[in-house]
Amino acid sequence: MKRAFTTGCALPALFAATLPLLTAGPAAAAPFACPNRGGNLVFGQEANVNSLDQMTSSTISTRNIAMNIYESLVTRDENNKPIAELAESFEESPDRLAYTFRLRQGITFHNGKPMTSADVAASFDRYKRIGLQRSTLDNVAGWETPDAGTFVIRMARAQPTFIEALSSFSVPIVIIPAEHKDDAPQQLRPVGTGPFRLVEFTPGSHARLARYDGYKPNTAYEEATGFGGYKQACLDTVTFRIVTEASARVAGLETGELQGVEDIPTQSVEAMRKNPNVTVLPLKNWWIQIALPNVAHPPTDNLKFRQAVQAALGMEDIMDAATDNNYTLNVGFQFPNQPSYTDAGKETYNINDPDRAKRLLRESGYKGEPIVILTNRDYAPMYNAALVMQQQMQAVGIKAELKVVDWPTSVQMSQKVNSTEWHFFHSGWGTQPALGALATMQFLAAPGANYRPRDDKPDPDVEAAWSDMNTKPTEAERNAAFARMQKLVLERAYAYPFGSLTKVQAVRANVQNFRPFRIPRFSNVWIKP
Amino acid sequence: MSETGALPLEATLAAPEAEPRRRHPAWATLRRLFRHRLFVTGLVLFGIIAFMAAAAPWITDANPNRLSMRNKFQPPGGDWVFGTDNFGRSLWSRVVWGAQLSVMIGLSVVALNAVFGTLIGALAGYFRRLDNILMRVNDALMAFPAILLAIGVTAMLGPSTFNVILALGIVYIPRTARIVRASVIVLREMEYVQAAVAAGAGHWRILRHHILPNAMAPMIVQLSFLFAYAVLSEATLSFLGLGAVPPTPTWGNIMAEGRDFMRDAPWIIAIPGVTLMITVLGLNMLGDGLRDVLDPRLRIQQ
Amino acid sequence: MIGVALRRIGSAVPVLLLVSLITFGMMRLIPGDPAAAIAGLSATQREIEQIRADLGLNEPFLVQLLRWYGGLLQGDLGRSILMGKGVVAVTFERLPVTLGLSAYALVLTLAIGLLAGILAALRQNTLIDQLAMMFAMIGISVPSFFLGLLMIILFSVRLGWLPTGGYIPFGEDPWGWFRSATMPAISLALLQAGLLARITRSTMLEVMRQDYIRTARAKGLPGRQVVFKHALANAMIPITTVIGIIISLLLSGAVVTEALFSIPGIGGLLTQAVLNRDYPLVQGGLLLVTAFLVLVNIGIDMLYAWLDPRVRYE
Repeated sequence: MKRAFTTGCALPALFAATLPLLTAGPAAAAPFACPNRGGNLVFGQEANVNSLDQMTSSTISTRNIAMNIYESLVTRDENNKPIAELAESFEESPDRLAYTFRLRQGITFHNGKPMTSADVAASFDRYKRIGLQRSTLDNVAGWETPDAGTFVIRMARAQPTFIEALSSFSVPIVIIPAEHKDDAPQQLRPVGTGPFRLVEFTPGSHARLARYDGYKPNTAYEEATGFGGYKQACLDTVTFRIVTEASARVAGLETGELQGVEDIPTQSVEAMRKNPNVTVLPLKNWWIQIALPNVAHPPTDNLKFRQAVQAALGMEDIMDAATDNNYTLNVGFQFPNQPSYTDAGKETYNINDPDRAKRLLRESGYKGEPIVILTNRDYAPMYNAALVMQQQMQAVGIKAELKVVDWPTSVQMSQKVNSTEWHFFHSGWGTQPALGALATMQFLAAPGANYRPRDDKPDPDVEAAWSDMNTKPTEAERNAAFARMQKLVLERAYAYPFGSLTKVQAVRANVQNFRPFRIPRFSNVWIKP
Repeated sequence: MSETGALPLEATLAAPEAEPRRRHPAWATLRRLFRHRLFVTGLVLFGIIAFMAAAAPWITDANPNRLSMRNKFQPPGGDWVFGTDNFGRSLWSRVVWGAQLSVMIGLSVVALNAVFGTLIGALAGYFRRLDNILMRVNDALMAFPAILLAIGVTAMLGPSTFNVILALGIVYIPRTARIVRASVIVLREMEYVQAAVAAGAGHWRILRHHILPNAMAPMIVQLSFLFAYAVLSEATLSFLGLGAVPPTPTWGNIMAEGRDFMRDAPWIIAIPGVTLMITVLGLNMLGDGLRDVLDPRLRIQQ
Repeated sequence: MIGVALRRIGSAVPVLLLVSLITFGMMRLIPGDPAAAIAGLSATQREIEQIRADLGLNEPFLVQLLRWYGGLLQGDLGRSILMGKGVVAVTFERLPVTLGLSAYALVLTLAIGLLAGILAALRQNTLIDQLAMMFAMIGISVPSFFLGLLMIILFSVRLGWLPTGGYIPFGEDPWGWFRSATMPAISLALLQAGLLARITRSTMLEVMRQDYIRTARAKGLPGRQVVFKHALANAMIPITTVIGIIISLLLSGAVVTEALFSIPGIGGLLTQAVLNRDYPLVQGGLLLVTAFLVLVNIGIDMLYAWLDPRVRYE
């Protein structure tokens, strides 16, 4: 039996659950047409971009821009389900050792060259060589191009989660012209197949995109969905301008200097809502605010101590400070709208019981040694959360101290095996939770499990659940394994997820069809004249 | 942080002209100082800040880091003299404790310069053989854009109050040393020094008794300006996130944290900013007064 | 004079070598590495290790040092880790932005500083003098980042007259450049203008007390002619050196200003490079900037020698 995954019909049992947006079928009604073509949009982006090489950069700021330029074979829809994008359809062999992708016809690159399977193969070659997540291809034996319209991936080992990994938008395998396959890391020439092409890029300042007139929309859909679907450039140009000051972004939006911005500080949200010229678009579940213990080092190696801290935490105050009151309380590592979501382990969440914490603390034999909370100031929410966590820990009698360094230093410190420099590390998990349970839980699996077990040897129970998450053949079994893993991690206090952060995007009121998403998508966005 | 680099300018004003002078009795100098309007104004302005710094534990009720989420973004006036920030911390407490840190850091940088700047400058100016090596290193350190050197040093050592002092020390000592060296070179050639040499006095003795006392006046003027630059630079470094570790209440930290709210809660930036300005203004006025009175060669008005 | 210039440049070489050595050592002593910076938020440890290996960061210190100096000898300053482009290319891409901004600030500095200084000197001990000196005093006391923030709050946030940040190249849109560069230039210029005013005033007063000016006045030359032809001309000599210093101050002041106004100049570039541990960019970029400053100072000295004939014979 061959299982066919065409874009039209529902995806396999693999990704079952509910698929409201995938039922599109061959377009029945008329696809999206721009109500108004033309116009220039300026978007205020928060973080600097150094390179638009989507294969070698995992930063959100790169993705924001590059994913309007590039496309992949498979990607994710609005609900993060894998869908075909440059592929018209793909199928998995019964033994799960081959995936055959049939490419859409008539696709051209921004340089006018038609896209063929040779370009796809060359893109995979480059990714295999220097792509940041080339581990995605670890189980792949090789790829073939039987004809110009077909691309086949041969697996060395079956991997039930392969399409899920391949469609990840974290560092996607974007399709580039074959002649660019030897471009050095960070140096990829910006030629893709997307609805926008790059016309100008000044790192630290701005990137200007213009409509690609030769773009051929994916007619299997009627509207854009996630990173794929029926996309079209209505705008003439889109300029991403780097505006790092939050107040400056707000002011720019108010004056109309910017037509769209990401991340409005909560202080200004109310005023923006009242402004008739502005549409506020909150994007829920932007990241999971989290702290991780250092299990290799006393007293955080002691379960009772970790549980004492767990009992001391009040998530409302932490999240309020972290996000300026723009958050959702959330148990665990997925969000309620996701297929793998579970509240397993919820008894450990938001206990906020100082007496219980004090009792556990006594049982743990804590003797008042200083506890170091490692955080950074590059990401204000992490710093803010650490500040409140410190206070809550102090309130139950823990001698908590902050160690504030910059982000690269804190990452390096947190990754040192058997470090004695810190006890709790503050981070934020954004892309991975959105990609799904599998992408998220790799943070808690070897090698480099983020709770830092001694000698990097993780808890065998957690590891067993992780293995099931990867290898069980059905999605239901894998989800059950995820629930087990989450419960273990929370009960053994290997992570303290505080809740989920809302990021507020906003556009001018005349900007239509801009739907908040993990990147600002400018396909099908139009300006009301 | 052009402030950091500003020293050589005042230096061109203050340094090479040093001349041996007969010593004023201290009281005469003091009397002239207290008749100098700028000096007195500066003394009053800086006195207010110094008082805040010294009296911090008694004039603030609270721990400057105590959070109170219920009270965030209270405007100045009412229950909160200076208002509160995004964590509901009292800005009055934070600004007053910030004054203590600023003054402390400024004084430490001045002390470092007084010791090492004088030492290096005197050695380089007095012993020609050392001059070449010391001044080359000096030139190299001064060739860096000052702020980048400070950023590099604090990034290297890690942000902390002590490391900020060290970083500012490394930035300013070459500049101080250069000024001292210029004075020493002039003084060394003076007849009375040559006479002492001829009389067989040791190097150390000549330096201590004949040269350094006469190089004091430009040094004092220089150090008073340095105090102002150090305070300003420390604020700039912490504003850039490279100063004392937050939540330490330095003025730069408070302003950096208030940046995101400047549209709707501008007082978080304005209050420490104005306080910082008053401090630097006061110190600069003090410096002007000292220069006019102690360094008559530069006393142009009157 | 060309010989003098060459000798000056020659003597700058060891200084630059020391600069590069200090930079190299300093960067390697900074904790954290570029891999974590490149990976950004929520990268897995595996990814970060991958980047680290790709960048050759696991090589010993001495090998990296030798490799760097080897490249330097061949005029190769390496590639920016973060941007993938050559250090020289990146630096020269950003330098014009900073130079343009600095030039604007320099014009403001000269206009305000010289005017205030000369006026104060001519009207010594009058209200004008006092106002000018008060302005100068405030100028050297306002932190430039605070001034920048105040202007943003007032002119951008409240009034909406000027953009809050960003930079428009002059070649693309001169008016846009003017609008985007004005607040940064003012916040850069005020401190320098204050310094220049103070120095101009004292130098002018000094010169005007000299015998030849008194003689000229006694001879009955008109006041204005004395001021401009003699006093100012002679005062310009020390002022020229001061301007040299101001240029280097503007460049280092740009670090803060560029960060505050999101301007893609060299100051912001190097700050980001330090914070992201982009070793080649910090090393190469700093070397180029300091070399540039050294050249400017040599140029100023030459100008000084040309203005003041006495210097030439020394």
